[in-house]
Amino acid sequence: MTDLILQALFSGVLIGGVYALVALGLALAFGAMRIINLAHGELVLLAAYMAYLVESRTGLDPYWAIPLALVVVMAVSWALFVLVDKIKDHRELNSLILTFAIGIILTNAILLIFASDMRSTSSAFLQDAVSFGDLFAMRGEIIAFVLSVVLMGVLWWWLKSSWYGRAVRAVSSNRNAARLMGINPARIETVSFLVAGALASFAGVALYTMSVVQPATGHALTVKAFIITVLAGVGSIPGVFLGAVLLGVTEALTVTLASSALQELAGMVLFLLVLFLLPNGLFGARARRG
Amino acid sequence: MSVTSPATSAPVASSRFQGRGALLGAGLVILALLPLLTGASPYMLGLLISALILSGLALSWALLGNLGGMVSFGHAAFFGVGSYASALLAAKLGVPVLLAIPLGGVVATLSSIAMLPALRLSGPYFALAILAYAQIFRILATELDWLTGGAAGLQRYPGLPTLFGIDLADRAGSYVVVLACVVLFAVVYVLLRKSHVGTALRAIAESEDATRVVGVNATLLKSWMLFLSAFIAGVFGALNAHIIGFLEPDYAFSGVWSVMPIIAAVFGGYRSVLGPIFGAVVIYLFDQVIAKSLIPVGHQILLGIVLAIMVLLAPNGLAGLVRRFFTKGQFNKTSEKSHAGA
Amino acid sequence: MVRKMIASATLAIALTAGATGAKAQDAGKPEAQTFTIGAHMPLTGTLARSGQAFNEGMQVAVKMCNAISPKYQVKIDLIDDESTPAKAVSAVEKLAADGSVAIIGGYGSNIIGPASDASDKLGKVYITAGAVSDELTKRGLKTFFRINNNAGYERGIATLIGDLKPQKVSIIASTKEAPALLAEGLEKDLEAKGIKVTVHKFDPAITDFKPIINKIKLQDKPDIIMMSAYENDYVGIIRAAKVLKPNVKLMVGTWSLATPKMYTEFPDLMNNVVGTSFLPFPVEVKSEEGKKFAEVYKQTYNKDIEYLSTLSFVETMVLCEAIFRAAEDGSLEKGGLAEQMRKTDRDSLLGRIQFDATGDNPNFSLSMGQHRDGKIVLVSPKSAANGEVVYPGLPW
Repeated sequence: MTDLILQALFSGVLIGGVYALVALGLALAFGAMRIINLAHGELVLLAAYMAYLVESRTGLDPYWAIPLALVVVMAVSWALFVLVDKIKDHRELNSLILTFAIGIILTNAILLIFASDMRSTSSAFLQDAVSFGDLFAMRGEIIAFVLSVVLMGVLWWWLKSSWYGRAVRAVSSNRNAARLMGINPARIETVSFLVAGALASFAGVALYTMSVVQPATGHALTVKAFIITVLAGVGSIPGVFLGAVLLGVTEALTVTLASSALQELAGMVLFLLVLFLLPNGLFGARARRG
Repeated sequence: MSVTSPATSAPVASSRFQGRGALLGAGLVILALLPLLTGASPYMLGLLISALILSGLALSWALLGNLGGMVSFGHAAFFGVGSYASALLAAKLGVPVLLAIPLGGVVATLSSIAMLPALRLSGPYFALAILAYAQIFRILATELDWLTGGAAGLQRYPGLPTLFGIDLADRAGSYVVVLACVVLFAVVYVLLRKSHVGTALRAIAESEDATRVVGVNATLLKSWMLFLSAFIAGVFGALNAHIIGFLEPDYAFSGVWSVMPIIAAVFGGYRSVLGPIFGAVVIYLFDQVIAKSLIPVGHQILLGIVLAIMVLLAPNGLAGLVRRFFTKGQFNKTSEKSHAGA
Repeated sequence: MVRKMIASATLAIALTAGATGAKAQDAGKPEAQTFTIGAHMPLTGTLARSGQAFNEGMQVAVKMCNAISPKYQVKIDLIDDESTPAKAVSAVEKLAADGSVAIIGGYGSNIIGPASDASDKLGKVYITAGAVSDELTKRGLKTFFRINNNAGYERGIATLIGDLKPQKVSIIASTKEAPALLAEGLEKDLEAKGIKVTVHKFDPAITDFKPIINKIKLQDKPDIIMMSAYENDYVGIIRAAKVLKPNVKLMVGTWSLATPKMYTEFPDLMNNVVGTSFLPFPVEVKSEEGKKFAEVYKQTYNKDIEYLSTLSFVETMVLCEAIFRAAEDGSLEKGGLAEQMRKTDRDSLLGRIQFDATGDNPNFSLSMGQHRDGKIVLVSPKSAANGEVVYPGLPW
C-alpha cells in the first residue's frame, strides 16, 4: 500500500508540474488584466502541433520545435490581445466570449490543417522509463517537470525584480493608479499576453512529449488551467505551482485509493471546496466574492 | 422595449404600446407558424426544433445573466438533469410524458439548490463553478448505473404522446410543443422584467451594495432567478430527451448545452427577450445550413468568426442592431426607454 | 522484397487496366443509372478520426462497385453529424429528402439509435458499422442493419484469452459507451471460463495511467492486461505499463490498435501488443475482393488500410449489391431494398455476412492480430490465424 501511495504522489507531482506550466500563462493574463483567456488551452495545443510538425517533418526531437512554437504562438497571442483590447463595454463578460470564440476558431483551424488524428511523440528517448528507487516515470515527464520548474523560477524572478514585472503587478492591482505613475497599461498588458504566449509554447511542446493531443483537447486544458488558477488564488506564482501539484496529487490518489472513474470528479470537488471555503484561494491575496 | 418584447408585455405598457405590441406579437406568431403553413420538409422542421430547443436554453441563460447578473458556463448541468429526470420518471414510474417534462424542470431546480453556495462568487468564478457542477453531474450520471443505465445510456423510454388525435412525436407536433414552451417562457420572462421584482433585480445588477442598504434581499432574489433559469433549462432538456429518444451522460451533459446558449444569446443580444430566441434560430440555421455546406469539416470555425465579430462590432447583438436601425426612425422614444431599462 | 515489388507492380497494372476499362465503359454507356447513398459521420470533434476512416472505406467500396457495374452507379452524399443525435437525425432527413436510396450511419449507439429511428420513419434502409449496443437490435426495426456487434468483439477477445488460459485478467475500460459495454460483457465471459477478472473503469479525460497500472501491478497481479478503450488511451496505458513494467504476459486491446498506423507512429509501444483485426499486415488476402480493396485503398489514400475503413468497406459493398439487385428487379422504388438486404449471404473480409430478423449479423466475430516488428500476425481464432501468438510477449 505504501508503494502504491508513494508512486501516486510521485506521478501526481510530475503531472502537476506540467499542469502548472499550462496554467501559468492563463494565471498571468488573468492577474494582469482580470481577463480569463478562454483560448489559452488552444494556444497550448497550437504549440503542441508545432512540435508534431517539426518531429514528423524533420525527425528531430520535439524540443527543437520551441523556437517555431514561440514565434507562432506569441504572434497569435498578440493578435488575440489586440482584439481583446478593442472591447470597450462589459469588458469582463465580452472578453470571455471573445476569447472563447477565438478558441473555437483555433480548434477548427487546427482540425482543418492537421486533421483529426491523435498525435504524440514517437521518440524512444522521451518514452523510456527512468526510475528513482521504487519510483518510476517516463523520461519525457521528468524533462517537462524540470522545464516547468525552471520557467516558473524565471518568471517569478522576472515579476519580482524587473521594471516590467513591477509594472505588471502595479497594473494588476490598480490600473488607474499605475497610469498616474506613468505606466502605460496597454503596453504592460501586451507584454503579459506575449509572455503568456511564450509560456503556452513551452507548455504545448512539453505536453506533446508526454501526453496525447487531438484538436478537441484545447478546451479541457483551459478548464484545467482555470481550476488551478482558482486553487492558487490570483497573483501568486508559487501558488500556481502548488495548486497544480495539489490537483495532480488529488487525481492520482483518487485513482489509487478509490476508482479511476472518479478522478475528474475529485478534481472538480476540490475546485468547488476551495472556491467556497477559501475565498482567496490557497495562496492568493485578493478576494473574489461579489 | 416594445421592439423586443411580444404582445404580452402590454399590461404594463400604455395603450399605444399595447397596439404596437399586439401587432408585433401577431406578426411573430404568424412567422412562427409559417413553416407549418407552408408545409416545410421534416428536415427543415427538425432543424427548427433543434434551434428552438437551443432558443429555450439561451433564454434561460440570458434570464440568469440579465436579471440575476450571473454568467453561467454550465447550463448543461440543468439541461442534463432535466432530461434524465423526465426520461426516468416516464420510463420507470410510468409518469405521463407531458407531466414528466415539467417535473424534469422541477428536478433540475432541485439540483440547483446544490449551487446556492456559488451565488456568493463573482463573475468568472461563478461561471466556472457552474461548469464544475455540470462535470460532476455528468460523472454521477455515468457512475449511478443502477439508475441511469451508466455509460450505455437510456433508450426505449416513451416519446411525446398523441394528444386530442394529434401525434406530438411527429415533426410538426414536436415543433408546436417546443414552440409553445419557448413562447410560454418568453412571456414569463417579460412579465418578470416588468414586475417590481424585475426592477429590484436590475438595481442589484447595477450596484449590489446600494440595494443592500435599501433593504432588498439580493441573495434571495438571485436564488429565485437561479431556480427559474434551472427550471427552464430542465424543461427544454426534458423536451429534447423525449424528442431524441436516447440519452447518455456524454450527450445529456455535453459542453454543447453550455456553450451554444451563450453563443446564441450573445449573437442575438442577451439583454433583450427576443434576442436569445432569434439568436439561437439564426445561428443554428446558419451553422447547419450555410456553414456546413461551405466547409463540411470544421465549419464551427465560421461560428467562431461570427461570434468574434459580433462581440467586437455589435456587442448588443442582433437585437441591438435592430434597435439601432429603428432608433433612426420613428421608434426613437421607445428605444431610449428600453436603453434605460437594460 | 523483390517479390513484393513485382506483386504490387502487377496489381497496379491490372488495376490501371481495370480503371481505363471502366472509363471506356462509362463513355460507351452514358445512360448508367446513378443512385445516391446517404451517409452521416462524425467529421469534427473527438470522434472525427473514426468518421474519416469510415468515409475512406466507403469511398473505396463505391469505386469498386462502380467499376464492375455498367448498368448502375452509386455515389455517396456525406454529412457531418458532429456526433450529435439531433444533427444526425437532421442529416438523415436531409439525405432522404435529397433522394438517397439508403443511409449509412456513423459512430456511437447514441447517434445511431435516433438516426435509424428517423430513417425507419422515412422508410429508408439504414446500415451501420459503428454501433454495438444490443438495445439497437431489440427495437425490431425492419430497415435497420449492422455488420458488427458487441457480441462479436466479445467473442473474438474471449476466444484468444480463453485459449491462453491465464489465471487472472485486469480490464482497463473507458467509461464511454462501447468500451464500457465490451468490458461488462468480457467480465462475464471470462469469469464463466473460470478466469479471475478485475475491472478498472476510467474517465475518458484521464491522461496519466500510471496510478491505474501501479494498482494492477501491485494489487491485481494479472497475467493479461486487457484495454477496452480508444487510440489515445492505448498510448497512455502502454506508456504507463512500459514505465512501471507490471509482471504480465500480454497486453490485449480492441479496435484501432492492431493497425500498421499505430506501429508507424509508436514503434516503441506496439511490439507484441494484441488487438482486434481483420487482416494481417503486410496484407495477405486470399480473396480477390480483399486484394483489390487493399490496392485501391493504397492508391487513393497512399496509406495502409485502416481498421474502421475495412468495416465501412464491407457494409458499403453489401449495401451496393443489394441496391443493384433491388434496382434490377424493380423493387428499389417500392421499398424492396430491405428485403434484398435480408437476402445477403456473402463472404467478406469480416467473414460471412448475413442479417437476421433484427438486422444483426450473427456471424460477426473478430480475429485478433499481434504487432510483430512492424508486421501484424493474426493469432486467433485458429481458423483465421497465420501465425502463433507470442506469449508471453510484451512491448518492453
